[in-house]
Amino acid sequence: MKKICYSIVLMVALILVVPLTCSAAEKGFDDKEIRIGQFGPQTGPAAPWGSVARGAGLLFDLVNEEGGIHGRKIKYYLRDDQYNPALAQAAVKEVVERYGIFAFTGGVSGAGGQAVKKFISDNKILWVVPGTSSLNTVDDRVDGKPDPYRFCSYPRFQDEASVLTKYAVEELGYKKIAILYQNDVFGKVGLEGMTQRLVSYKMKCVLEIPVEPTEKDLASQMLRLKNSGAEAVLMWVSPTLCVIALKTSESIDFKPQWIANSGLSDLALMHHITGGLYEGVITGAFVPPPDSQDPLMVKYREAAKRLAPEERWSSFYIAGIQFAEPLVEALRRVGPNLSTEAVMKELNSFRNWKGLGAPITWTENCHQGTDSVQIQKCGPGGTYILLKDWTENDLATWKNY
Amino acid sequence: MIGQLIIEGLAIGACYGLFGVAVAIIYKTSEVVNFGQGEMGMISTFIAYHILIQYQFPFWLAFIITMIFAILLGMFIEFFLLRPAKDPTVLGLIIITLGAEMMLMSLVGWKWGAEQKDFAFPLSVRDTHEILPGLKLNEWTMGVFILTALIMVLLYLFFRYSNLGVAMRATQQNQNAAKIMGIKVERVFSFTWAMSSVIGAVAAMFFAARSVLDPTYMMEPFMRAFAAAVLGGLTSIPGVVLGGISLGLIENFFGYAWPHWKPIVAFVVIILVLTLKPSGLFAKHYVKKV
Repeated sequence: MKKICYSIVLMVALILVVPLTCSAAEKGFDDKEIRIGQFGPQTGPAAPWGSVARGAGLLFDLVNEEGGIHGRKIKYYLRDDQYNPALAQAAVKEVVERYGIFAFTGGVSGAGGQAVKKFISDNKILWVVPGTSSLNTVDDRVDGKPDPYRFCSYPRFQDEASVLTKYAVEELGYKKIAILYQNDVFGKVGLEGMTQRLVSYKMKCVLEIPVEPTEKDLASQMLRLKNSGAEAVLMWVSPTLCVIALKTSESIDFKPQWIANSGLSDLALMHHITGGLYEGVITGAFVPPPDSQDPLMVKYREAAKRLAPEERWSSFYIAGIQFAEPLVEALRRVGPNLSTEAVMKELNSFRNWKGLGAPITWTENCHQGTDSVQIQKCGPGGTYILLKDWTENDLATWKNY
Repeated sequence: MIGQLIIEGLAIGACYGLFGVAVAIIYKTSEVVNFGQGEMGMISTFIAYHILIQYQFPFWLAFIITMIFAILLGMFIEFFLLRPAKDPTVLGLIIITLGAEMMLMSLVGWKWGAEQKDFAFPLSVRDTHEILPGLKLNEWTMGVFILTALIMVLLYLFFRYSNLGVAMRATQQNQNAAKIMGIKVERVFSFTWAMSSVIGAVAAMFFAARSVLDPTYMMEPFMRAFAAAVLGGLTSIPGVVLGGISLGLIENFFGYAWPHWKPIVAFVVIILVLTLKPSGLFAKHYVKKV
C-alpha cells in the first residue's frame, strides 16, 4: 500500500513539474539568452544550400560579439534535416520541446518548411524569414489573413519571373522568349510569372519546355529550343540541369541569352561548375553581389573573415544573414521587455526597412515583405555585374492586401 | 535537325549501354543486380577528380590510377561485403549492394562534400566538328562511340577465347558444375566485380563530363542503364548496348516531339517489351527444368 501511495505521489509530482518545465522552455528566452532555431540541409543532396543556415549563425555571432541584444545573448540551434521533411519535423520538435525556441529563421527546404509550418505556428513561435519562396504568405492565406507568426521576404518566383521577362522585353528588346522549366511546383510558378508578363505585352512564349529534376540528357530539348528560334531562354531549373543545358546547347551551337532564376545566382559557383559557360548569363537575385561596397555588406564580409574564415563568401551564405536581419532588428527595437507579441508588433511596423536586401514592408494584413529582385550578370571569372537594382513587379496584385 | 537528333540519341544511348554492360557483367555471372554500380563509378570519378585537382597529374595518369582504384574497389566489395554473407540468397546479395551504395555515397559526401564540381574531362562536349553541313559531332560523342565499340570487341574476344572468360560463362550457367570442373568460382566473382567496376568507372567519367560531379549524379544514369540492360536483355552484352542505343534514340525522338513524355516513354516501351519478351529484345530465353 505504501509503495502504491509513493508511486501516486511521484506521478502527480511529475505531472505538475513537467508542464512547468515545458512552459518555461516554450518561452524561448530568459534574462541571459534568446534561443533561435534553424533547420536545413548540412548534408545530403542539398548540402550546398547549407551555407544559408551558417550565414545566419555568423550574424548571431556578430551580435553576441557586440554584446548581445539588451543584455541577452543569442543562442543558436542549427539542426541538419538532410533536405528530408521527416527529419525537419523531428528537428523542429526536438529543439522546441527540449530547449524552447523564441523564433526560427531560414530553413531552405520548401517541403521541410511545409511539414513544420503548422507546428511552429501552433506553438506561437515566430519565423522570420523562411529561406524559401514556397512558404510565402501570399499564396498561403487562411481566412484572408497571413499566418501571424511567419514573416517572409524571399520574393515569390512568379514575381521574379515577371520582372526578368520585363527586363528581357523592354530593356533587351527580345521578341522571341522561351522557357526551360523544372516540371514541379518551383518550375511551374516561374512559368506562371513569365506568362503573366508576356500576356501583358500581348506576346506568347515561343516554346515551353518542361524537364524532370533528375534528367541528365537534355539534347532533344535543346534542339527543340534551337529550332524554335528563341532569342532568350528563361531557365527555371536546378544548378545541375542548368549545367547540362548550357553544355548541351554549346555543343549544338545554340547560343541564346540565358536568363536564370535566383537559385542560380551564386555566380562564382555556377561559373566554376559550367567550366566558364555561365559567363554572360543574366540572373535574378534576392541578395546583392558579394563584392558590393554597401557599408553593411562590408561589415559582414569583414566579420566573416574574422569569425568564419573557412566559409566561402557566397550569395547563399549572405542570404542566411539577410533572412535573420529583420528578426535581430525587431529584437533591438522591442527593448528589454521581450515577448513574442512585442516582437510581432515591431515586425508589423516595418515600412521600407532596409537591411542587406530589398526594402521590407510588413503589415498585419501582408507578411510578404517585398517582391523586388536585382538583375545581375555573370562576368569573366564568375564576377558579378549589377544590371539593375531592386526592381518591383508592377503586375503583382497581392500588394493591394 | 533529325540527323543531329540521331547523333545525340546514339551518343547518350551508347553511354547508357556502356554503363549497362557493367551491370550486366555481374548479373551474367551471379544473377545479382548491383545497385551500388552507379556509386562505384561515382567514387572512382571522385578519385580521378581528386588526383587531377589535388596533385595536378596529367589526365592519362589520373585515369590509370583511377582504374587501379576501380579494380580494387570491385574486389573489395565482393570480398568483404558479398562473400562473407552466409547462405546468401540473390535477394540478400542485392540488399547488400544497396547497403554498399549508401555507404559509398555517404563516404563521398563526407570526404568531398555535396557541392557540385566541374570534372575536367579531356573529351569535351564543347569541342565540336562539323561532319556534314549543320551536323555537329562533339569530342565527347566520338569518345563514347569509339570506347563502347572497343570495349564490346574486347569483351567478345575475352568471353570467347580466354580461359577466364570461358570460366565466367561456365560459372553463370552452373556454379556447382563449374566447381566440379576445377574453376575457382570465388576468384571468378572477384574478377567479375573488378571488371564491372572498371567499365562502370569509365562510363561514370563520361557522365560527369556532360553534367556535374556530386555524390548523387550517378543515380539517374544507373536507372537508365539498368532499364537499357533489361530492354536489351541482361544476359546479352551486345543486347545491353543495343538496348542502350534504342533507349537513347526513343528518348530523344519523343523528347523532341513531346517533351512532357520524354521521362516516361522509355519505361513504357520497356514494359511493353518485357510483357511480350521477358528476357529482353536480344537475349535468349532459357527455361530452367525442374
